Amino acid sequence: MTQSYEVFLGCAIPSRFNNYESSMRAVAKELGIKLIDFDGASCCGTVVLKSIDESSWLSMSGRNIALAEQRGHDIVTPCNGCFGSLKDTDHVLHDDETYRKKVNAALKPLGLEYTGKAKIRHFVEVLYDLKDEIETKIVKRLDGLRVAFHPGCHLIRPSKVAGFDDPELPRKVDELIELTGATSVHWDMKLRCCGSPLLIASEDVALKILQEKMISANGAGANCVVTNCPACHTQFDIQQLGLKDDDGNSLELPALFVTQILGAAMGLDLEPLGFELNRVSLDPINDILGL
Amino acid sequence: MTESWGNFKSFEGKKFKAMDAEFTNEVSKLIGGKDLTACFQCAKCSAGCPVSDKVNIQIHEVMRMMLFGLKEVLETDMVWLCSTCYTCQERCPQGIDITDILFGLKNMAFKKGITPAGYIGARKSLYDTGRLYEPTDWERDDLELNPVPEFNIEDTKKLLDKMKLMKLEEDE
Ligand code: SF4
Ligand code: SF4
Repeated sequence: MTQSYEVFLGCAIPSRFNNYESSMRAVAKELGIKLIDFDGASCCGTVVLKSIDESSWLSMSGRNIALAEQRGHDIVTPCNGCFGSLKDTDHVLHDDETYRKKVNAALKPLGLEYTGKAKIRHFVEVLYDLKDEIETKIVKRLDGLRVAFHPGCHLIRPSKVAGFDDPELPRKVDELIELTGATSVHWDMKLRCCGSPLLIASEDVALKILQEKMISANGAGANCVVTNCPACHTQFDIQQLGLKDDDGNSLELPALFVTQILGAAMGLDLEPLGFELNRVSLDPINDILGL
Repeated sequence: MTESWGNFKSFEGKKFKAMDAEFTNEVSKLIGGKDLTACFQCAKCSAGCPVSDKVNIQIHEVMRMMLFGLKEVLETDMVWLCSTCYTCQERCPQGIDITDILFGLKNMAFKKGITPAGYIGARKSLYDTGRLYEPTDWERDDLELNPVPEFNIEDTKKLLDKMKLMKLEEDE
């Protein structure tokens, strides 16, 4: 069965992590997931606009959902920020009649209406549905890869909105990672926020949180961090460059997207997986990945 | 440079005038706000909060300040240093939508000009371009990715005009 989705990239991926989009597309193609370009969207608004003005956020984000609904499609996004924002909007517009009326009144002149028909899914949710199929496609085992998997907040919390995995003991994406032969290590800061949303208010605090996370990942013996979100990845693959503990020891670990390691294990062409664009050096794990 | 936000740093030596019932009323109308009275100050929210050890005023204190009608809550650093991670909301034994209430507080603070400068710039780029970040085209070319689908700026602007995004401060 071919599944098709309107793919919502958001603005962080095309700006900073084109390797995430490219590796997602490669994996989707291999698994027969059809991704339709989302024309005429806007940014999801994210927690940034929600922090400034909830009505503006609901209308900007609600418009994107209404567009997909008009086209008769569901939405898939590889970004936790977009996923959280769209899901949360869907949740509020579904439950809160006052906001729904307000947003729909604004959408009406644009020929749009939110009724809640379009489903919003994270790309990893779609992958998890295809877990058995992915397993049959693994041709190159990534034995020796010790992954500190960072699920990110908005993929799993608040659970009544995200509805994807156990918010205190998420395992689903870890199961996908372990299909490749890699180990998803236990690290005590795994569920903690990466600090990325704080870059706008205080880079110092954001970096402090990142440092705590990386001390934990290193302590657990991980040799890389894996994420499924460009906002989190901004912390792990940009802010992490040169990161040290208070004694001056390097905390740097390679940062990969989940689609990059799945693609590598599925034996896909390396070029579209975009490893050249990873900023923190992949040298320590080059051999395992077959680069 | 003095920041416009986070200037309420401690309860030490502070005397508060009578509780402002109107403020309590206002915050209880925020999304999630109706449950403020259910908070029994167990501080589980602060126990799991990634910034508890980095702020002057912690989240369980913010919860109580709201209930007591202390407007000074808008000037606590917790408002803008909340990373929106939802850990507190997920764990609150009273099922209070803490993070959502904090979003409402951020909205109130923004209207009063109590906000990190980055948010002012972000508002402008969301309004002007419909996005926060611009695509990096050379990378896309290298990876043979198609151009990013066009954003619809006009319609988005119409919505944001209707919600008065660029005039929030005048709404006072
Ligand atoms: S966890 Fe809930 S009940 Fe406990 S202090 Fe925080 S808000 Fe109040
Ligand atoms: S949502 Fe905000 S207040 Fe709650 S735990 Fe996370 S950072 Fe702390």
